Amino acid sequence: MNFDMAQDRKGLNVSAPTAVMKKLALASICAAALLQASASFAQQAIEIRLTYSKGQFQPSQVSAPADKPISFRIKNLDAKAMEFESASLRVEKVVAAGTEGVVNVRALKPGRYEFYDDFNDKARGALTVQ
Amino acid sequence: MPTCRQDASDDIEQGLAASGKERQVANSRGRCVLALCAVATVLSAGAARAEDASSWREIETKYIFGFTLGSGIGLEGEKEVTVDSIGRFGKREGSYAATETKYEFEFTPSQFIQIEFGALGSTHDIHGVNGLDDQSQIALGGAFAEFRYLALERTSTNPLAVTLAVEPTIRRIDETSGDRVLNYEFETTVNADLELLRNRLYAGFNLLYEPEFTKPAFGDSFHEATAGGSAALSLRIVSNVVLGGEVWYLRHYDAANLTSFTGDAILLGPTLYIQFTPKSFMSAAWNAQVWGREIGNPVSLNLSEFQRNRVKLKFAYEF
Repeated sequence: MNFDMAQDRKGLNVSAPTAVMKKLALASICAAALLQASASFAQQAIEIRLTYSKGQFQPSQVSAPADKPISFRIKNLDAKAMEFESASLRVEKVVAAGTEGVVNVRALKPGRYEFYDDFNDKARGALTVQ
Repeated sequence: MPTCRQDASDDIEQGLAASGKERQVANSRGRCVLALCAVATVLSAGAARAEDASSWREIETKYIFGFTLGSGIGLEGEKEVTVDSIGRFGKREGSYAATETKYEFEFTPSQFIQIEFGALGSTHDIHGVNGLDDQSQIALGGAFAEFRYLALERTSTNPLAVTLAVEPTIRRIDETSGDRVLNYEFETTVNADLELLRNRLYAGFNLLYEPEFTKPAFGDSFHEATAGGSAALSLRIVSNVVLGGEVWYLRHYDAANLTSFTGDAILLGPTLYIQFTPKSFMSAAWNAQVWGREIGNPVSLNLSEFQRNRVKLKFAYEF
């Protein structure tokens, strides 16, 4: 690569290796910020563990404090996939048979938030935020 | 959306002659649409009483109000492909039919934002309409993107939800005339809805501001804008069917800053939403112009900037 040509074309007083270094540094800062945000969410979040067995959530009624992010951890013990979904929580996630899925939810205001398995109309539950 | 406004003196002569008949037709149309809405409401209210809504799943409100959009932004992680057609029919004379179809992809990257984008297809079948060239064509007319932000979310204690949306669009085929143009539109809307009865009855409200810039193939470029608002009421008669009605008030300006008012109209009609499966649905609406005025042209409807009827049909599949 002709570094001088690259300088001439762009009219910048920065060599190509320096530009690459700057991009890498920027990417690292972004990645670090994302990791930190993720770690911060995990630290602050209230974890709610649910199991899905025989087409039902256990427990089906859960509660959490207001204004705290929530992390649902759903373990699907059934032999077929389920989809954890909620219109009021505005989330959906397919959890394959025999696996665990994590659904992160924003900090919520007090109220009742229903959730269900989108593949099974009878599987219902609700989160009460107080 | 260019106007097909005529030379003022010709319009006034034609307008005066046709005014009485137009007014009768408009009144009759208004009564017909109102009667249809009333019958639909009575029938749906009867059906609605038969089922208990407390066991129903919550519904996504975005498409239950017809042309009026609800506040829904989908679920985080959800993706959707849709075909969304709007047909516009009827000018003062001749025959006029134009459709614009959005082939769109929607996704919801976070619990507050929804993004949509896609291509526009258009058809025009125009014959004998003053101010518009005869056209019979099908074309790929442009592209659009939409960004929606949920500003106020509904909870079990707050029935109101509000979403702000912007939709930049570029067209190479004019949506009204079918002429080759370069058109930029920037639709800005406020989409609000209110859950009046839990899982059952919803009211929707939209505010619209839609400035446009058009550069025709020949002639001078021009600015225009449409502004207005709507109110809609939708009743969920069974868990997967929603029936309702909506009314729109629209104003047209020959300037983007709303300084050159050219006319307005009221459109009214029924709406329908059917959820086929948890992942697929359709939405349909018909609006008829029941009142309108053109500035400087004493006729009963505004068929210069708007049309007699508009129809919306949307099919969507989520995955």
